[in-house]
Amino acid sequence: MAELRNVIVFTIGAVRYALELRWVREVVSLGFVTSVPTAPSALGGVCNLHGAILPVLDVGVLLDDVPGLPARQGDGALVVEAEGLVCALRVDQVDHVASLHETAGAVTDATGRPLQLLDPGRLIRRALELVTVQAERTA
Amino acid sequence: MSDDELDFDPDELAMLRQLFRSEAQDALETVTARLLASGSARPSPEALTEMMRVTHTLKGAAGTVGRHAMVDLAHRLESAFVALGREASPWTAATADRVVEVLDALRGYLDHVDEPNADALADALRAQIDHISRPHRPAASQPPAFVEPLPETVLGPESDAGPPPEPKAWLRVDPERVDALMSSAGELLFDRTRIERRVQLLRTLARDLARTRQALHDAVVDDTAVRSPARIALVDAEVALAGQAALLSQTTAALLDEIEALRRTIGELQRGLTRIRMESARSLMTHAARTLRALRRATGVTVELRTVGEDTEFDKAVAEHLVDPITQLLRNAVAHGIEPSEERSAHGKPPVATITIRARQDGHSLVLEVGDDGRGIDTAALSKRLVATGAWSAARARLANDADVLAALLDTGISIRGEADELAGRGVGIGLVRQTVAKLGGEVKVASTPGKGTTFTLRLPLSTALAQAMLFKVDGQVYAIPSVHVSETTLVDAHATTATVRLDVVPVLRLEQLLGHGAATDRKPAIVVSFAGKRLVCTVDKIIGVREIIIKPLGPLLAPLTLYAGATVSGSGKVQLILDPAQLVRRTHPDAPVAAHTDPGASSAVLAGRALVVDDSRAIREAMTSMLGNEGWIVDVAEDGARALQMTRQVRYDLVITDLEMPELGGFELIARLRKDDRFKTTPVVIITSRANPEHRRRARDLSVRALVAKPITRRKLLEALSAR
Repeated sequence: MAELRNVIVFTIGAVRYALELRWVREVVSLGFVTSVPTAPSALGGVCNLHGAILPVLDVGVLLDDVPGLPARQGDGALVVEAEGLVCALRVDQVDHVASLHETAGAVTDATGRPLQLLDPGRLIRRALELVTVQAERTA
Repeated sequence: MSDDELDFDPDELAMLRQLFRSEAQDALETVTARLLASGSARPSPEALTEMMRVTHTLKGAAGTVGRHAMVDLAHRLESAFVALGREASPWTAATADRVVEVLDALRGYLDHVDEPNADALADALRAQIDHISRPHRPAASQPPAFVEPLPETVLGPESDAGPPPEPKAWLRVDPERVDALMSSAGELLFDRTRIERRVQLLRTLARDLARTRQALHDAVVDDTAVRSPARIALVDAEVALAGQAALLSQTTAALLDEIEALRRTIGELQRGLTRIRMESARSLMTHAARTLRALRRATGVTVELRTVGEDTEFDKAVAEHLVDPITQLLRNAVAHGIEPSEERSAHGKPPVATITIRARQDGHSLVLEVGDDGRGIDTAALSKRLVATGAWSAARARLANDADVLAALLDTGISIRGEADELAGRGVGIGLVRQTVAKLGGEVKVASTPGKGTTFTLRLPLSTALAQAMLFKVDGQVYAIPSVHVSETTLVDAHATTATVRLDVVPVLRLEQLLGHGAATDRKPAIVVSFAGKRLVCTVDKIIGVREIIIKPLGPLLAPLTLYAGATVSGSGKVQLILDPAQLVRRTHPDAPVAAHTDPGASSAVLAGRALVVDDSRAIREAMTSMLGNEGWIVDVAEDGARALQMTRQVRYDLVITDLEMPELGGFELIARLRKDDRFKTTPVVIITSRANPEHRRRARDLSVRALVAKPITRRKLLEALSAR
């Protein structure tokens, strides 16, 4: 059964991802990224966004334990709100906003190219778990 | 009744009298305040009643602690108030003066109550008090001040001048006192952040517990094929676990609500304190007018200042920081924005230019606009300069629109004109404006229309919770530590693990290893951090100094990283992490019972945590609470051993301090019972007693009591007992 969703399509490394627009607060270019010593590698650092502290997450580490490029000033990022908290996902490139076709678990864009649909709640829960484990280890 | 007949031993009596003295000072303060609330006029009946009530309470308290002369004086004062309360009694300005003098004299008497001349003072006071309500029948030993009564103006009910207007009582306060309060309120923010973080951890724990229960449920409860006693026990355990997990998450949720309440209260407190420091924009505008007059004389540019919204109120602390940015913006307008008169006339503009400063409140923001009606910013020229100086690539310049170019003016602080310019500098000024405003937690925007003018808009928080912090650099990043916990700076040799600070040997924590990579190869600057009576030396790469910072929470995702107490944003918009001194201290003093699950161990020094004070004297309980509280402890009190035992069933304490002789359950009995409880097997216990004999010491040793402290308890004795090894 084909389902239509509004998603933002973006690229990290060689992988194309999609994220439902309802999770995305804004697309920003990151300010200076302050690294957080003793934090797990999933946390690329923290940024100042409109005066608030914004954690920047590495999607690669969260999904497959494969780190992407380190977050730097000027990098693109999606500001995501889920699980009651706000964080940024560093991306290499934001492609476009599209309607998504989902057929029996396989996700493609209008041209039929495969996309990986992200569940931001799962990403954030995983990040929280990694931070907690790391904190216990270094305490 | 002599002191011997009182129910206290001498030490307790001394302490209680100390408490009484401060209570009495407060009471007299209250009476004075009530009296003076209506100036020299007759106090309202309610105020007089309150004055009587407070004096009556004072009389009772004086009796309790055996201050008999004070009982008599308070009694006479109460009678005097009763007499003054009668309708017929006249009230004059001199009456008020006499009462105030008596209250002052009473305060003085309290300070000298144990001195040889106290009786003489009391006699004089007695006469002075009686004189309040009977001024025309002076007592024999009337003090000289009343020999020649001042001419009195009758303000009583017989006066037909109508009630005098109630003068508004203004309070003159040293600003430093308000600042000290502000900084305490700032500390509260740190404290709240700490608590919040622990609750976030609890919440995670509650979630994990629920999952564990689910796993247990899935594994045994659904498996009805097995019917063994073990399975029944597991099912029961699962049910109990479910209840406990639910309770934990409810409690945590309630705790979050309470923290929210705390947050609101702290906010109220800070807003209240800020209101004390509020001032109108008028002084800022006056300053701007002066600056502009000077600029006009220096440059010959004809320009007028128009100000709007002088009555807008905002934090004095914010106002002080805005003087420089406003000056800079005025210079900038005069140097770059405003065209010569002939050019203005040629474009059909009035020859005299206008700079407008507008202040207004917008929700919780203060908005300040500084606008000129000059030539506006040439974005094309600015874009070229951005490329020429290397700030932008040519490609970026091609893609940028006018708004991007104007934003770059603020970011890079590049000059609008090419040449060096004495008045406005090389545009560095604009960068400074942005930095200052960012530091205050605000932002700057610029709008410009060619030929019409340029307007800078500064949006700032109405008030700022600024805290003092020591800033320093480690591995290229800037960090902060609240400066209340930084005592001094020093130098530490490479590889040294201890340093000598004021003759004490203090452990060294190498921040370059904790926060960066690699070890120090030479001497390093270091910061001496103290927390809850413990000190350590933290090596850093570079000390920046003490700055005012705005504390921002790190948010729930970073909450588990207890090393950080929060963050702040620098003038250039970078996030700087604030280190939690409590956590730094734990790293060099690992036996500190900061975390509830680490066993303090009977032989280690006690730092801070939750303490239980058991004593049947309220004076002692209060005194201990204040002493321990000052050292960072959270203190619970119990009036006897039985109550203490009850409390220990619910809370695990990091320290128990107990008296020996108490009704219900004595001290030794209490300690013996605690030692049978696994949770209190090694908990440090301190005994406070007025009679310590060898038998007591032997029993104390058998029960692994850390120390016996003889009453009266002083701060020094207590700290020695806590740091005993």
